[in-house]
Order: sequence, then C-alpha cells, then structure tokens
Amino acid sequence: MNGNIAMKNVLDYSYYPGCSMHASAKEYDESTRGLFKSLKIGLHEVPDWFCCGATPAHNVDELLSLALCAKNLELAEQVEGDLAVACAACFSRLKVTQHKLGENDIKRKQVEKAIDAKVSLDKPVKHLLEILAQDFGLERLNAAVEKPLSGLKVAPYYGCLLTRPPDVPELDCVEAPTIMERVIGATGAETVSWSHRMECCGANFTLSRPGVVLKLTGDILASAKRAGADCIVVACPLCHGNLDIRQKEIEEVTGEEYNMPVFYITQLLALAVGVNPGKLGFGSMIVNPTPLLKEKNLI
Amino acid sequence: MKNIKNTKMELSQETMSVGFVKKVEALSGSSVRRCFQCGKCSAGCPMRSFMDHPPNRIVRLIQLGQWERVLAGRSIWYCASCETCSTRCPNKVDLAAIMDALRKLSWDADGPSKESYVQLANRLFINNIRTYGRQYEMRLAAVFNVKSGQFLKDLMLGPKLLSKGKLKMFHQKNKNLSEIEKIFTRIEEMRKKGEAP
Repeated sequence: MNGNIAMKNVLDYSYYPGCSMHASAKEYDESTRGLFKSLKIGLHEVPDWFCCGATPAHNVDELLSLALCAKNLELAEQVEGDLAVACAACFSRLKVTQHKLGENDIKRKQVEKAIDAKVSLDKPVKHLLEILAQDFGLERLNAAVEKPLSGLKVAPYYGCLLTRPPDVPELDCVEAPTIMERVIGATGAETVSWSHRMECCGANFTLSRPGVVLKLTGDILASAKRAGADCIVVACPLCHGNLDIRQKEIEEVTGEEYNMPVFYITQLLALAVGVNPGKLGFGSMIVNPTPLLKEKNLI
Repeated sequence: MKNIKNTKMELSQETMSVGFVKKVEALSGSSVRRCFQCGKCSAGCPMRSFMDHPPNRIVRLIQLGQWERVLAGRSIWYCASCETCSTRCPNKVDLAAIMDALRKLSWDADGPSKESYVQLANRLFINNIRTYGRQYEMRLAAVFNVKSGQFLKDLMLGPKLLSKGKLKMFHQKNKNLSEIEKIFTRIEEMRKKGEAP
C-alpha cells in the first residue's frame, strides 16, 4: 500500500510532442520522457495529434493555422492534465491560437466552422520549462540532482518563440528572460552571459534558403564561443537542427572551429538527476558531446 | 525653378490606396497607419540584410500606396516570423502579423514575387499536413530538392541524418487522417462562399 503511494506521480500532464520529436528531435523526446519519469511527473501523449502547422501555415493561411491548433486542443481534451509541450514552435502556435480565439469572436466562429466543433480554450498549455520551474519547482529539482553539472559552462539559447510575442507565451519576461538560466542553474552548471541568446537562428529557412541559416546561426555560435561556453542548450527542435546539424557547414564556410555540442535542456537535466546517459540520445547528436562530458567527469 | 521646400505635398486617398491598407489591417488585426517610422523594427530585424526593403520601409510603402512593390519584392518571404519587430514597436504595430497578411495576399493572388523557394517550401509543408497529418521530413526535403531543381542540395546531410535515426524512411500514420482532409475541405468551401478570408 505504502509502496503504491510512493510510486504515484507527483504531477500529471497530457503531452503534445509535435512532429520533430518523433524524427529529427527524437533525443529531445527520449530525454524528456526519461527526465519526467525520474522526477515522477506523468506524461500522457495525446492520441492521434496532428501537425500544428508551425510557421509555414500561419505565414500564408492564418485560418488554417488556427484551425489545426484548435483541432489539437480539442484532441487534447481526451487526456487529463494541463498540456505539456516541448517544441517551442508548437508551444507558440498553440498559445497564439488560444490568445487569438479568446479575444476575437469572428475568428473563433470561422475556426469552429472549419473544425466542426466548439473550440476548447480552457486547458492550460505549458512549456516543459514552465512545468519544471514553476509547477515542479526549482528547489525540488535541485534536491533531485544526483550528479551536479559543476564545471560545465552552458550558453542557454532561447531563440524566438519561447518568449515572443509579448503577452502570449507568458513564460517569462519578453526581452530579458531568466527561466533557462534558473532551471540549468539548479543542476549546478554555470551559465554564461552572452549576446545572441535571443537572436533568430533562421529557423525553417534551413530548407528553402540554407544560406540564411549559415549566417544567422554562425553568428550565434561565434557569440557562444566568445562568451567562453562549453556547449549550447536549447528547447526547440529547429534551433537544435540549425545549431547542431549545420555546424560543420558553418565551420567550413567561416573557417572558424567550434566543435560546440548542442544539448536539449532535458538531456542535461536528465543526466543531472541520474538517468542512464545511454538513454539520452547523445549518440544522435551530430556534434559528438562525449569528449566534453568525459572531460567534465559527467559520464 | 520652383522652390518645393515650403510647398505642401498633397496625396489623395486613391494615391495612398486606403482600400489596400484597410484590407491589410483587417487581415492582420494591426494598424498600418499608426506607424511613425522610428525604425526600431528594422534595427532589431535579423533578416533585414536579406531583404530588398527593410520592415519599416515595407510599412511606409503601404502607407503611400506602393503596395505592388511590396508584394512583388522578396522581403515578405524573407521574414522569419521571429516577432522581434512586434515585440519592440513603441506604437503597438504588429508587424509580424502584417507580414502574415501581406504573404497571404501575395499567395492568394499567386503574385509576381521574386522569391519562389520559400513559397515552394511552404506549399510542400502544408501539402504534407494534408496528406499525412504530420510532417514527414524526409519527403519534405526530397520533394523540395526535386521541385527546386537543386538535386545535390544537402546531399551529404541525408545519409548522416538517416544513420543517426533523425530521418525516418516511413511517415507517421494517424488513425483520424480523414478529419484533417475535412478541415482543409471545409476551409475551401467557406472561402468559396465568401465566409472566410
């Protein structure tokens, strides 16, 4: 009996992973599940969720974008608990949809007609960072750390969509957020102060105009190196794709050597709370993080 | 020569294309006319060096009735939707939403924009949602290369990502796939009837 109570989750969430989490960002999904299991936070995936439409949909068709997100919010109602979202872009689109449909009756009626259902806007949509920093709490996170990441110098990278536009994500201050620093700080790692933590990486231009990404992401890598960081930490699959997958190409174009591992924030947190490193997808990263983690005695 | 320095310049409502301005304002939910050209949007824009007209000039061109130049140019397609402009505007002009509205107008008109790659990528991305319900990155990249005629683009990247398990050979399947098709069809019908923009 007592054993059962001890096994019960302290928190439970419905979970919207988003498309990347099942493909190019699978290590983000693996490490998220590992971390949450270790912290006894339940994650229950919404069945048969759809793509949120991301940037391409709202770029040319706002109604489609709102309808796709409203459909996902409707599907999420099947699962109990606030909706946990890992991808910064999915998070942003779902929050923008709630915001816009909540304040604009005309758009809400159009969307209801498009999805042939009443829109449900009541379920709180939360990014993983918010769950860890606020619902679970930094003190509890700190107490769960088994392997402090002391000596690791981390550049926390926010990118665009975790905090912007103002009044929508409600995650943290729109121009000077600290939530990533606070969460990583709870593991004992050191966070560097750097100039490009909120500059755009070029996002989905990686497909259509990779030259744009090489320039913008190159500037971000240069800034992290200037600040003396060992690695960059992100909470968005697109940011990760650009910083990690395109890093070699950027080195070739700029002649600058970075060899800078780019971690998902959940990978480092899970490592700190004692999840088996073999289950954190380090092998899927293009820039090999093993030498750095060995040097810091973390694996 | 006439001294133009102290003469008043008059612009008619027609010259300024107030109709177009109102259309953009209705679609975006943001004022276009309130912009007073401080330039803060362009100062923070990460994409300005790739644009033919920086963001503040886009708004000025629309205010002055030069919208055809905006829709034909590549600036609107080089906006990354990072929302920095909307965040920093001191006059609450939501430039990111205005960019969405301008892209939609250009997209619907199948206009003469110089930027085709970004439009192609958007089209394939949206088609993927309609066909598969979720993104299928492998197909997205492959079809983009074929349709844009860049067969060798990122050639070395594909096998590397496949070996890391980051690209899947097969797409994810939704049991409720027919529902996504219904959403697309309903939106098309609403537009035919003039019930939605």
